[in-house]
Amino acid sequence: MEIIANYGNVLIIMAVVFGVFMAWGIGANDVANAMGTSVGSGAVTIKQAIIIAVIFEFAGAILAGGEVTATIRKGILDAALFANEPHLLVYGMLASLLAAGSWLLIASSLGWPVSTTHSIIGAIVGFGAVGVGVDAVEWNQVVKIVMSWLASPVLAGIIAFTLFRSLQNLIIDTDHPFNNAKKYVPYYMFLVGLVVSLVTIFKGLKHVGLSFDTVTSYMLSIGFGVFIAAIGTFLIRNIHLDPDENKDFYYASMERIFGVLMIITAAAMAFAHGSNDVANAIGPLAAIYSVIDSGGIVGSKSALPLWILFIGGVGIAVGLITYGHKVIATVGTGITQLTPSRGFAATLAAAATVVIASGTGIPVSTTQVLVGAVLGVGLARGMAALDTRVISRIFLSWIVTLPAGAVMSIVFFFALKGAFGA
Amino acid sequence: MANTDNITSLFGKSPIAPLQKHMKQVHSCLKDFAVFAKAANAQDWEKAETVHISINNREEQADKLKKKLRMNLPSTFMMPFSRRDLLDVLLIQDSIANITKDLAGLMMTRHMVLPEEIAGDFIKLTGLCVETSGAALMAVNELDELLETAFSSRNRKIVGKMIKTVNELEHETDNAQNDIRNKLFALESDLPPVDVMFYYRAIEWLGETADAAQKVGSRFEVMLTK
Repeated sequence: MEIIANYGNVLIIMAVVFGVFMAWGIGANDVANAMGTSVGSGAVTIKQAIIIAVIFEFAGAILAGGEVTATIRKGILDAALFANEPHLLVYGMLASLLAAGSWLLIASSLGWPVSTTHSIIGAIVGFGAVGVGVDAVEWNQVVKIVMSWLASPVLAGIIAFTLFRSLQNLIIDTDHPFNNAKKYVPYYMFLVGLVVSLVTIFKGLKHVGLSFDTVTSYMLSIGFGVFIAAIGTFLIRNIHLDPDENKDFYYASMERIFGVLMIITAAAMAFAHGSNDVANAIGPLAAIYSVIDSGGIVGSKSALPLWILFIGGVGIAVGLITYGHKVIATVGTGITQLTPSRGFAATLAAAATVVIASGTGIPVSTTQVLVGAVLGVGLARGMAALDTRVISRIFLSWIVTLPAGAVMSIVFFFALKGAFGA
Repeated sequence: MANTDNITSLFGKSPIAPLQKHMKQVHSCLKDFAVFAKAANAQDWEKAETVHISINNREEQADKLKKKLRMNLPSTFMMPFSRRDLLDVLLIQDSIANITKDLAGLMMTRHMVLPEEIAGDFIKLTGLCVETSGAALMAVNELDELLETAFSSRNRKIVGKMIKTVNELEHETDNAQNDIRNKLFALESDLPPVDVMFYYRAIEWLGETADAAQKVGSRFEVMLTK
């Protein structure tokens, strides 16, 4: 308790700095993968992608980021074991932030695939198990999270496969693909709005201090879905069939409609990414803040202060503006074979999966979910060539990142313990 | 710090445009041969030589395209068709250019001038072979549309019709080939035997280009059904 009383402010400032750095890293790096399919399909320009990403990453972080933040803040470690030594939790969470941040820097400078989600989870489990004791880790919860890393790309793949098949049957493989696209696309937009708002209203808004009863929640979600569909219908009203552009490629006009749909889907993806990944940066910060703010009480029931979500959102936005645009440009130009219809199916499937994970409080890797979704479209014979080597790279990144995050956080943990006193 | 390779490395280079480009190259090789045959027939050996060089260049280009496509097709690729089938189509496509090159080479070195009685038929057969390979090219050019519809049965039927045309044209070349052989048989006792031997060979090789085009079509159809 003494340590917290003496160094509380220093520790909080350190946590804010590291947390903002992590958020900056997510904005600079991760967002590019989330926006990759939108930019790569050519439907969204790089500039539009950045504007969409800044707005919706921020909105996602604040409106729907609370649940995953709660998991990282207090779901992975057993609070009871820290009751007598709350400062250890503070050190550990700081060490985790430092470890995940440094690992992110090292791995990306070497060009290794790395997931912020995996680094932070590895780091928290690492200091918990080694620094405090194996019992300190809520292994059930950890197993659940790790299982979801397997399940989430698979789920996204199944959704993408189904979505794409429905597009094929209702729109692409018909006598009048253009007319059918105009007819059915608003329904898909409704779906986008519905999924995002359901999760946000049921799970996210309570962290912002808003709550509605069930009926109102459903009504609001449906209303929001209709609103999105209306915006979409408005945007595609001026797209006309152009027989000239269809001479070389019969589906060119139809793809332009999907291009519009893609803008809305990209927004949903940014929202989903913000809602899930902001926790990697501010979850540990929230844990540190609640310990210090309550004067050393671990696991206090205090709500997540909104300003923490806010600085997470700002950090991501700043990362995007200062550095992320470059990475988005690289990723966008690196992906050439996606057409808007495929980009739409894959991105919507990934966004839905990530948003659901956010609502359930499970931290997942957006990039890997997106990979699963694109592979789902590929299984439906929708993609020319996907390199499945990426699957082994994903497993490799788990094997490397989890222990790396763990080892580094253990080192930082003991260093902090030495510096501030056990 | 560009941690981008996760999502971009998922997307391989599509083999579709390269395959189409290769077929186009192969087809242009055969189209050149039609010009060559006319020049040879007119005994314009200067022009024939120019076209002959062009045929060789195109064959070489096709070869390069073939190698490049094969190099860019790792076995880890997930494609909407089997990799084996794609490589087979590519090889058969390439054989059209190979046969054409050999045929032009044979006629060039021997300064082959066909007997008047069959010369016209030979030019006509050349035209038919070009048409056959053109029809096969048309089918292969549908591949991007096929991909867009994710190989729907509707689109496969359209391609099926194109391939039927290829088969019909190839059948015509068979008949035309027979006619020429019959005419040549009637003439052969009056012609130098070695020349006759190579006339038969030229007719045979020319027919083989149409055969190969037909094989491209049928192999292509197999490729689509996965």
